[in-house]
Amino acid sequence: MSEAQTAMPPRSVEPLLLKALALAFTVFIIGYILVPILVTVVMSFNDAAMIRFPIAVWSTKWYADFFGSAQWTDALKNSILIAFGTAAISTTAGVLCAWAFQRFHIPFRDGWYILIMMPLFMPGVVLGLGVAIAFGGLTIGDYAIYGSRELVMVAHSLWAMPLVFMLMEATFKTVDYRIVEASYDLGGGPVRTFFEVVLPMVSTGIVSSLLFAFVISLNEFVMALFLTDRDTQTLPVLMWLSLRSAGTPRLAVASVILALTVFACLTIIMLWYVRQLRKVAR
Amino acid sequence: MTPLATVTSHIAERSRQERRKATAPWLLMLPALVIVLIFFGLPTLYMVRMSFNLHVDQRLYVPGFTFEHYVNLFSNPLFTTAILTTIKLALVASLATVFIGYCFALLVWLKPARWRLMFIGLALAPLLISEIAIIFGWWMFFPKNGLLSYALIASGLIRDKVSLMYTEFAAFVGLVYVTLPYCFFILLSIFDGIDKRLLEASADLGATPFKTFREVMLPLTWTGILVAFSQSFIWTMGTYATPSALGPDTLWTMGFLIQEQMLGKHNWPMASAFAVVLVAGVAAVMVVTRSLQTERNSFHV
Amino acid sequence: MTAEPALELRNALRRFGSVVAVNDVSLHVGKGEFVTLLGPSGSGKTSTLRLIGGFEELDGGAILLNGQRIDHLPAYQRDTATIFQSGALFPHKTVAENVAFGLRMRKVPKDEITRRIAEALDIVRLKGFEARYPAQLSGGQKQRVALARSLAVRPAVLLFDEPLSALDLSLRLQLRAEIKRLHDELKFTAIYVTHDQGEAMAMSSRVAVMNSGAIEQIDTPETVFHAPVSEFVYTFIGESCCLPLRITATGVEDRKGETLGLTLGERPGEGECRIYVRPSRLRLTGDAAALPNRLRARIHFIEFLGDVYRYHLKAGALELAADHAGPIGYAVGDVIDIGWRNEDARVFR
Repeated sequence: MSEAQTAMPPRSVEPLLLKALALAFTVFIIGYILVPILVTVVMSFNDAAMIRFPIAVWSTKWYADFFGSAQWTDALKNSILIAFGTAAISTTAGVLCAWAFQRFHIPFRDGWYILIMMPLFMPGVVLGLGVAIAFGGLTIGDYAIYGSRELVMVAHSLWAMPLVFMLMEATFKTVDYRIVEASYDLGGGPVRTFFEVVLPMVSTGIVSSLLFAFVISLNEFVMALFLTDRDTQTLPVLMWLSLRSAGTPRLAVASVILALTVFACLTIIMLWYVRQLRKVAR
Repeated sequence: MTPLATVTSHIAERSRQERRKATAPWLLMLPALVIVLIFFGLPTLYMVRMSFNLHVDQRLYVPGFTFEHYVNLFSNPLFTTAILTTIKLALVASLATVFIGYCFALLVWLKPARWRLMFIGLALAPLLISEIAIIFGWWMFFPKNGLLSYALIASGLIRDKVSLMYTEFAAFVGLVYVTLPYCFFILLSIFDGIDKRLLEASADLGATPFKTFREVMLPLTWTGILVAFSQSFIWTMGTYATPSALGPDTLWTMGFLIQEQMLGKHNWPMASAFAVVLVAGVAAVMVVTRSLQTERNSFHV
Repeated sequence: MTAEPALELRNALRRFGSVVAVNDVSLHVGKGEFVTLLGPSGSGKTSTLRLIGGFEELDGGAILLNGQRIDHLPAYQRDTATIFQSGALFPHKTVAENVAFGLRMRKVPKDEITRRIAEALDIVRLKGFEARYPAQLSGGQKQRVALARSLAVRPAVLLFDEPLSALDLSLRLQLRAEIKRLHDELKFTAIYVTHDQGEAMAMSSRVAVMNSGAIEQIDTPETVFHAPVSEFVYTFIGESCCLPLRITATGVEDRKGETLGLTLGERPGEGECRIYVRPSRLRLTGDAAALPNRLRARIHFIEFLGDVYRYHLKAGALELAADHAGPIGYAVGDVIDIGWRNEDARVFR
């Protein structure tokens, strides 16, 4: 057998082309997603009042400005309060509803399902408009419903609750019902069993639901725009209203603070989740 | 207790239990139903009814019955342009989002596992940020003094400052950014249901990457593409903040008009009419998409 | 050798990070040969196959198909066809469309395609299944369609990636015979990967036993079975009993240091060694008396394997298993004689 090197066939160009395209696209997509984020973070440390590149002087003065302004910190407070409310309302409603669908026979099940899911497919403008028109001017005693935080919480739950429902529906499906039956067998009533046995098993789903609802509410501003007034306005609403007038790094700071609140939640969830995993692993 | 008494009390207990069992699900569903029926169902009906009311001078609305708002909607060129603009913008943005989302999901699906987490985190980012923060981010990118201009000049590609702010392109970029994560995750979950060996088998039998895409990937992901497209289309139809903030003042979307009629002109009936038409459009799209989905999505054996 | 090998690997090398999956493997496969790559998981057999098919890139060496280098060609430009473990049939295409796929990619004219589909399905005995979808097929039928799909293309080499592992036993044996029959009839060149030695022995013209990325031995099945060159091959093929011993000046000890009542016909040199015998070659009680290698051991437990009884025995720290066609009249706990001939034992150090 001759030991001469056999000639190499010409290298195919196509795989290289594809690899190059893939690389180009990766660069593009990373850049595309990161641009507004990076720009905001960078600009929040700008000293000047004008939004302009390049940044001449760096400072954290706008952060101080943000926390010094009652209007902005109130808006932040409103946002967080409403987000908590939304999380509580939508998670409770969603969990109970998902449990009902899972364990009980419900007449016209599909119809109810569509009804509960429907708000998800409605644009925020339409939902906000509907609630504003229906409840505008309505008062319970002295308390004006329109413009109240509670109304916004419920409005946000229109989006959050179906999502919690979907998530919990999937989660409940993974529950081993023999454990539930074991509880009944040992004498636990339905309510007791639900709280002591079922809820802990789906705790991850519940915590995820709370997080979902919280983030959705915190970031939402179209419905909030329709339903809040000067006292109860949320941070995103204030940002929107200030967009054309207060085009300063203050808005960048607000964006960063808003995002940090979300990440703070995420971190809490992550830590809680890791703790749960360790508990199970032991 | 006499035997009869025992039996009757037993029957009474059973029927009490049955009643409890029958009412239990409704009790559990009550909070959700309250929210949906009272805060969504009622307002929707109210809104439909409102759209037929009259609007006279400065009052929010005057009870009555008229079609004038709908007529106005479809005859006033201002409004019809807005409808067409909305549809056009939604169409183009959705097509772009699905295309970019598809490539992105494909990339993540084909790459080894260690990259996946990073890319998923990246794709999640726009979801975790408020739309207003996204708008503001692009707000600082496009104008004359924004990052884009600065970067282009600094790299020597252009000489004068350029502004892409208040252009349809800026609105388009913003819209795609917001809907991209949804498309990405929908498509990625579809891809995950496909056996990668099919791609190898296709190549093994002689298909070039392009042919593999057309013969294998496309048919298997077709439903996913439809779902992602309709999701994106529905969302962008109803949007108003991003296009109005980043686009030109002439870019009127239906969402913007609703907001304007409601908060600006205090014309509740008109705003309601817009909302009804918008929802009808969205519903139509959903129905059309549903009918386009074939039964072939049971292929993931 | 005057004829060019159909497939040749020259010093093929494939790395995954710090792990060398295929370590300097060289292989000549003649036209019409059925070569099996046999080994445990991690032995590099699958990686080698994938290198030939073009699903992984060579880090060194070359691959030649009919004398031409193909290692820089992507999979879709190589004249190979693979049968995958899961079949990998296109779920959205009918059986006929699946089989037609490779032919369409090679731009075979339409009427020829129809002819070849009929031919391929006929050969795998699935005539009439053209309009069915993979979801409507059983596991065995799916693999037969996969076979038809690859055969229709008439590639230079057929690559089998553990195609029978996912099937149950009776189906596996059935399809194994089918593949062998097809090979005898069509005389295609094939590389077959499996960890099942029964498959390897039954179907191949040559078996390559692989370990840690290298080929330890490549020979006809009989040679590999009767004359294994290394300890790995010996223990991997067939069953064997291992006797770890220490040979001293005074006698034979087991690893714990206990002296054994073991008589050896041919005494290996001093030091530690391992003697291997196959269970089928161990003689018990009366038959053992005349043999040069003898040991007394206690019956630990007895297994009924259908065709034979397997006696598990213990002597000191040694454990053996001996097969016998019928019961020997001794029970658990009894001490009996075992013996074997010199040619039935292998010694490794």
